Amino acid sequence: MLNARTALMIFLVASLGTLQGCSTLGVKPWQRDLLARKDMALDANPLDAAIDDHLYFSKEAASGGKGFGGGGCGCN
Amino acid sequence: MQLKTPANALRLGLMAATCALLSPPTTHAADAPEDDGPWQVDAGLLYYKENEGRVRTIEPVVNVRRNLGDDHIVGFNFAFDSLSGGSPNGAIAAKSKIQTFATPSGSSLTPGSGPQTYVSPSGNTYTTLAKVTLYTIQPGALPLDPNFHDRRISFDANWSQPVSTNVKGTVGGHISDELDFDSLAVNGALSRDFNAKNSTVSFGMNAELDKIKAIGGTPVGGSDYAQLLKTGSKSKHVIGGLLGLTQVISREWVAQLNYSYDRSQGYLTDPYKILSIVDSTGNLMAVSSSTAASPYRFENRPGTRTRQSLYVGNKVALGLQTLDVSYRRGKDDWSVKSDTVDVRLRVPISNDWYIEPHVRWYRQTAAEFYHLYLDQVDAIPQFMSADPRLAGFTATTIGFKVGVDLGGNNELSLRLEQYQQKASERFSSLLNLQGLDLNPSLKSAIVQIGWKMEY
Repeated sequence: MLNARTALMIFLVASLGTLQGCSTLGVKPWQRDLLARKDMALDANPLDAAIDDHLYFSKEAASGGKGFGGGGCGCN
Repeated sequence: MQLKTPANALRLGLMAATCALLSPPTTHAADAPEDDGPWQVDAGLLYYKENEGRVRTIEPVVNVRRNLGDDHIVGFNFAFDSLSGGSPNGAIAAKSKIQTFATPSGSSLTPGSGPQTYVSPSGNTYTTLAKVTLYTIQPGALPLDPNFHDRRISFDANWSQPVSTNVKGTVGGHISDELDFDSLAVNGALSRDFNAKNSTVSFGMNAELDKIKAIGGTPVGGSDYAQLLKTGSKSKHVIGGLLGLTQVISREWVAQLNYSYDRSQGYLTDPYKILSIVDSTGNLMAVSSSTAASPYRFENRPGTRTRQSLYVGNKVALGLQTLDVSYRRGKDDWSVKSDTVDVRLRVPISNDWYIEPHVRWYRQTAAEFYHLYLDQVDAIPQFMSADPRLAGFTATTIGFKVGVDLGGNNELSLRLEQYQQKASERFSSLLNLQGLDLNPSLKSAIVQIGWKMEY
């Protein structure tokens, strides 16, 4: 159901839609107080994320998504 | 300026040292430019233990990162794994027969001279010969290779810096070494900010080259387990790409959308996994009634694999609390489809302490060549595997992390989680397999101590 072309189209449409609609999304520079909090970073805990990626890569058939798909390990 | 001089010198040196390397692109529209700062050290010690004497791991990890000024950022990651315990070899439990297997370094299923036999607490016996270690599995028990052990050392480095106005580049690399596996990877990414840095589009590429040095040699895929047709080391490579969009939705909400695609080619088979062959009653195939030397076959997987995923991540500020919720849809051309939902909620419980409950739910369908076992009356398929990780299953992770701010940007944390897998295909209707759980649930405990500091 999710072939490469479909997935790419979904991504591009979503991206273009988001960029097109940017006038209603986002914040002014002085409104970034909450976004500037360390715990609001999308990778606030890179160590936890790296450990989780490695654990789940070794136990499941799927990996990655947030970044490149695991790998670098002979565990799977 | 005086403060920046050593940082610049260090920056040049580190840039030269890491110019061939990369990590996944994690650009964020929410990020503000940073001044040069201290070294940020994120250290952790992981202890992972599975039930029923399966795998256990101790893994110290250290992440180091520093902004050298003007958003020139260098990062390193070092990890060491030590693994031991029992690993399912792919064969199924037998109702009334004691099964005998050789460890991967074994060269025969037939004991030679001078065996040393010992009995484990669970009743399984182990026989060690000059170069051959046999292990027997009691009736009804899942065949686990009790001699599984490995150690892994890995090192990652990455460098990112502005390339032009609103454009940032990242390069990085990975190198790791195991007893039976070497890996080398490089990657690079570019990201561009739009809309007053409320939107960021990124594109990254990854290339990985692996060498498989199976202990005892690499078995010929699909060959008879007792014939031990083995070859030397094998290799595989992976090429991947990732398109990402990060969008600030509101003052409280930032979201990320990623599409990733990668293709692996080469030796993708697990050299240590086998499959059982059973007759119409569910008993292991009688060797005397066939031309086979054993009722087991080494697994054999296709030589290519293409995987895709769509990932949506969100960070939402709910007052002082922070909600992290993500969904990932994955698919590959081995017919494995997966869904992953991950939710964390960071809740401050005082000025210094916080607790972060975590729930993760995962589901995957089986690979098209997955079999619990092979049927004697059917032709041996070209591709086959009984690796539980290619079975259909659901998995849940439940736990929490608690942390305390020690002042001076030092933070100590403890994470406790339980992970559980439950296979969708576990039983057989064949007479002599009835009542046997052929793919028992996996349960594991995850304990992680973390320490963040700056200096």
